[in-house]
Amino acid sequence: MTRSRFFKPRVEPALVSRIVAWRRRSAADLAADAAKMRWVVVDVESSGQNPCSDHLLSIGAVAIQDGRIRFDDGFETVLQQSHASDTANILLHGIGGQRQVAGEPPDLALTRFLEYCGKDPVVAFHAAFDKALIGRALDTVLGIDLASRWLDLVYLAPGLLPEIKERCHTLDDWAAQFGIINHARHNAVADALATAELFLALYPEGAASRHEPGQ
Amino acid sequence: MSQPPPVPESLLSATIEHLQRDAPFDRMEQEPLTYLVSHLRLGYYPKDAIILTPAHGVAQSFYVIKQGTVVGEQVDEGRADEGANWQLVQGECFPLGALLAARPVASVYRAVEDTFCYELPVEHFTELIRRSLPFRDFCTRRIANLLEQSTLVIQAQYSQKSNAQQSLRSALSTLIRRQPVTCRPETSIHDALQAMQEHRIGSIAIVDEHGGPAGMFTLADLLAKVALTRADISRPIGSFMSTDLVTLPPQAFAHEAAMEMARRGVHHVLIVDNRQLVGVISEKDLFSLQRLGLTEISAAIHNATASAALVPISEDIRQLAHNLLAQGVAAEQLTQFIATLNDLLTQRVIALACREAGLEGLEFCWLSLGSEGRQEQTLNTDQDNGIIFRVPTGGEAEQVRAALLPMAGRVNQALAECGFPLCKGNIMAGNPQWCLSLDEWDARFAAWVQRGDAPVLLQATIFFDFRPLYGVTDLARELRARLHQKIRENRLFLRNMVMNALGNRPPLGVIRDFVVSDADELPHSMDLKCNGITPFVDAARIYSLAAGLAETNTLRRLRGIGEQWHMEQKQINAWIDAFFFIQLLRLRVHHEQREQGRPLSNRVDPDTLNDLDRRILKEAFRQARKLQALLERDFQF
Repeated sequence: MTRSRFFKPRVEPALVSRIVAWRRRSAADLAADAAKMRWVVVDVESSGQNPCSDHLLSIGAVAIQDGRIRFDDGFETVLQQSHASDTANILLHGIGGQRQVAGEPPDLALTRFLEYCGKDPVVAFHAAFDKALIGRALDTVLGIDLASRWLDLVYLAPGLLPEIKERCHTLDDWAAQFGIINHARHNAVADALATAELFLALYPEGAASRHEPGQ
Repeated sequence: MSQPPPVPESLLSATIEHLQRDAPFDRMEQEPLTYLVSHLRLGYYPKDAIILTPAHGVAQSFYVIKQGTVVGEQVDEGRADEGANWQLVQGECFPLGALLAARPVASVYRAVEDTFCYELPVEHFTELIRRSLPFRDFCTRRIANLLEQSTLVIQAQYSQKSNAQQSLRSALSTLIRRQPVTCRPETSIHDALQAMQEHRIGSIAIVDEHGGPAGMFTLADLLAKVALTRADISRPIGSFMSTDLVTLPPQAFAHEAAMEMARRGVHHVLIVDNRQLVGVISEKDLFSLQRLGLTEISAAIHNATASAALVPISEDIRQLAHNLLAQGVAAEQLTQFIATLNDLLTQRVIALACREAGLEGLEFCWLSLGSEGRQEQTLNTDQDNGIIFRVPTGGEAEQVRAALLPMAGRVNQALAECGFPLCKGNIMAGNPQWCLSLDEWDARFAAWVQRGDAPVLLQATIFFDFRPLYGVTDLARELRARLHQKIRENRLFLRNMVMNALGNRPPLGVIRDFVVSDADELPHSMDLKCNGITPFVDAARIYSLAAGLAETNTLRRLRGIGEQWHMEQKQINAWIDAFFFIQLLRLRVHHEQREQGRPLSNRVDPDTLNDLDRRILKEAFRQARKLQALLERDFQF
């Protein structure tokens, strides 16, 4: 496998070495203690509801480590678009046409996202959607595959709490079960934070309640 | 990565916004807030999970509750009663003491429902204290700080109201200070003047047989139409009154009255509602708010020569109290103002009654009892008073009593007219039961201390706070000395007082924050007096009786016992702050009730308080619990 076959020409050379460095990082040890492990909780906003034809507008993420959401380990980007999405769509996520056009160059944004994720497992609500959009963007822009382990709360939540699954379908339903307040629904970072809170709440035995004295 | 990556912008601003809903974050600047949020973590604690315990060692994180409820449980062996628990809700921070002192927490912090907490590692907490003065203040001066903020909130709320009052934009109905003094047209000038003299007023309204306004007669009229024309003052006033009247409805504004007065060159406006005269507003009334000052009121009390003249002054005292409350004057000064002026007024009432009664040669002393005795009256305090006298050699107690009782009865009546309602339990100097010689009081107290049963203990809370107000104060001093002697000889009585005092628990629950009940007057409420003020008052009384302290005022008692019982100054101050906060809250509640024309009550629905006040009140109740716990421990003999 040569580098030229993997990286499409539009990727800036400076980014190539960063991507190589990311590829060399060792995979996360999925057998390690889940409570101590780093998880990346992600949410995306897109130009529409179809993951096969619509494109990625923004990515928001927060990391969980030692059972706590880390505010100093978050990620947010709005990807630069050649043209803005339609008005109804803009009204949903609130990323205006100007911000879309003035966004971060996709190759840089996605390289940063790779570095941010490392090889750690990724958590999302309706992960299939996020995975498809991110995967397609990575493939088109950088020509690579994230190859991370994805954990989908859409399946995990009803599995852990079968007694309330009938009442809960959307992220909002589940958040409401735990009194989680989303400060800005359809903002990628805010949704990622709410998803992360839900993840902690679903996984309490691995979360902050198991206190480790000292550092 | 050596530099931590910045927090996503939208997360940063949303988190700052969320934190800023509560103290102290609402007063912190952007830079330290950014620093704080950049180092936060967010943890989740399911119901019943332990967040922090002493076993975790030196405190490692500063916690802010994002959502949920946490209970702190004191882990003092042998005293695991509910008195040692408290609740923390959204926006509250812990454990400040442990972090500042770099020690383990003293309590177990447990989530009582699903709870999310922001957590800041201790090194960043320390740095934040360095970076932000409001944050440092908050951490080190907790109650004092919250109180200060609460005062600011009150000032902001009330300043609008008092501006409206003073800017003449209030309705005339709010300025009517009393029933108008009136006479009929056929009343003689002589009788009308007598009425004016009696009520110390410069004008009198003349009404027809239906109570409608017929005319006005002023001192200026007296000069021009009567004195200078040498008119016969037995003639009816109808022929001398002015009939060129300015009348306005009660809904009219004060500025309209001021304008009419200026335009028509009169000094009075008649307020007419439904063709009935309901009040007279003078120029003076329009500017009365500016007139109300401590010195003006004391001078007016001093100059009053009849008890009727004291009636409007007592109204001035109440108005002053409300104005001071509106200005955010601290509860300590406020209660002092009220107590001082009420004392002056009462002394004047007694002096006037004594002058009339001619009691020369009698040695007696007027005693203030209950909250008056403690100088802690609010605005709805009933009278509680008595008299102590000395029986002259060769004389009989009955004779002295018979001489004093008519005067005492008149004072009770006059005070009632001044807005101090008669005591429902008839604990008043005019009652022969409580107009006693030194030896009679002594014997009564001796019997109480012997008996120590429930009714006696209730009496003790009123009578043992006696304070000499007027007359021979030595009598009161001697009675106090004898009482303390008896209590020293019968410690069991103190123990009974403690048991009685512990019956009034602060309304703080373990799981829900406030314990409320449905009283007739207000559903879902709690009693600020019985369950808030009384625990402090009772404890201070018991400690000072045990120590033989002559003080009756709760604040001075608490300060006094601190030395005697080797209590920490910080702790004493916390109790005093808590006591005054509850007292202030009571005054504010009364103020609002008065504005809405409702009867004054000590009950408040905690849901109607703002977040800040609720938090301070909780903290204050917690202090009351602490004091009660100490009381229980110190008197276990």
